[in-house]
Amino acid sequence: MADEFEITDEMRAQFGVESEPWTYEVTTTSVRMYARGIGSEDPVHYDVDFAKAQGFRSIVAPLGYLGTPVYLPGTNDPTFGFPRRAGGPRLNIPFKGLLDGGTETEYLDVLCAGDVLEETSHLADLKLRDGPRGKMLFVTNESVYKNKTTGKVVAKQRLTSIHM
Amino acid sequence: MAQVYFEDISVGDEIPQLKKNCSTQQLVLWAAGSGDFYQIHYDKDFAQSTGLKGLIVHGALKNAFLGQLLHDWIGEQGQLRRFGCSYRGMDEPNQDILCRGIVTKKYSEGGKNFVELDVWTQKPDGKKTSPGTALVTLPGRN
Amino acid sequence: MTQAAKSVITDEMRAAVGVEGSPVTLEVEKTNCRMYARSVGHTDPIFYDEDAAKARGYRSIVAPPGFLGTPAFRPRMGGGTPGEMGGRGFSVPYKRVLNGGTDYEYFPDEDAVCAGDTITARSKIAGFEEAEGSLGPMLITRRETTYTNQRGKVVARMYGTMIQY
Repeated sequence: MADEFEITDEMRAQFGVESEPWTYEVTTTSVRMYARGIGSEDPVHYDVDFAKAQGFRSIVAPLGYLGTPVYLPGTNDPTFGFPRRAGGPRLNIPFKGLLDGGTETEYLDVLCAGDVLEETSHLADLKLRDGPRGKMLFVTNESVYKNKTTGKVVAKQRLTSIHM
Repeated sequence: MAQVYFEDISVGDEIPQLKKNCSTQQLVLWAAGSGDFYQIHYDKDFAQSTGLKGLIVHGALKNAFLGQLLHDWIGEQGQLRRFGCSYRGMDEPNQDILCRGIVTKKYSEGGKNFVELDVWTQKPDGKKTSPGTALVTLPGRN
Repeated sequence: MTQAAKSVITDEMRAAVGVEGSPVTLEVEKTNCRMYARSVGHTDPIFYDEDAAKARGYRSIVAPPGFLGTPAFRPRMGGGTPGEMGGRGFSVPYKRVLNGGTDYEYFPDEDAVCAGDTITARSKIAGFEEAEGSLGPMLITRRETTYTNQRGKVVARMYGTMIQY
């Protein structure tokens, strides 16, 4: 089935269709956990007083961390945690293998603990290539993160996953 | 789930069982949830280097399972007042862990309905790996 | 225990009973409540959904049973749960350690534990006991941790047992 996979017009019709918004939260414990995960020891990610003395609202989210999506059992993906919400792309992908193809993040503001973000995403691109082990499907999604309090766009992210 | 009432239960009653079966993924989730990153719960080579046969389930996770067993049983109007267990045996991932509870005492005091229970987790062969006790309050029918 | 066996409990240990360690601040947040609930497999929405929790009369998302917040992690300073396995600082002639069990006591008449709470945990050794078991002579250390929230309410106590043999 995977060998016969082709990108259809129906799939392409989903490009740019915005998902429902979802809430992402940046908290002191989640910032510290992410900082531990990347092995950072910079107190700006751990110590609220230190971060405030540096002029930040609270501890600073490490680069790449755009908050944790609100997790609701049955709604979020139990493995990856992302929300399977209404309005998002519905692709029937027959490949079993999954790799991270890369992430680009554009920051328009600094994210700090206490920030609550509203994220929307859409399917931006699909590419099918022949790899050494058969077909590979590159799925690119684009997300926009707004600060829920100020309404300001704080970050944009482009994520590519490779299905093979 | 329907609310359970104090009048409906008797000493000796078993409460609805909760069946768990931990994938290694759940053990990793628990590591993140609890902040306990001890490698015997997700790194098989490490676990074996400490003399274990393989990965084992966190004792505290089984304790938390008993918390869920009780929370789900007492319903919206019940209150969990005390629960816990001791760690007497190891459980492995991908094997059923049955969480059970039996009512050992019930009494009313100061306008509240108290229920004491024995709670435990058991392996498929019936061996209790984390026996404990609990105290909850339940609403009355009146 | 038999007359012949010598107690391993020293005067120093006896003096430490009841002495509280320095308080540890724990943060209860929506994200860590959800992560804890998710890792246990809870299905009740009060552990995930703020609106569901408020509709049931809680201030915010409820901390699942056994969850009393996360200590602020500092690199190189550790960040374990206070009291769970503490009290190993004494010189005892036993090499092996077992976590003997943990009990949680809640005081729902005082207050619930909800996201947004800052909890102060104070831990102390409640007592030492010696016993002769199938593992040979052993020392049982009982620890007690009291959790007080930002409103000054005692919301929980944890009783931990450590066995050295």
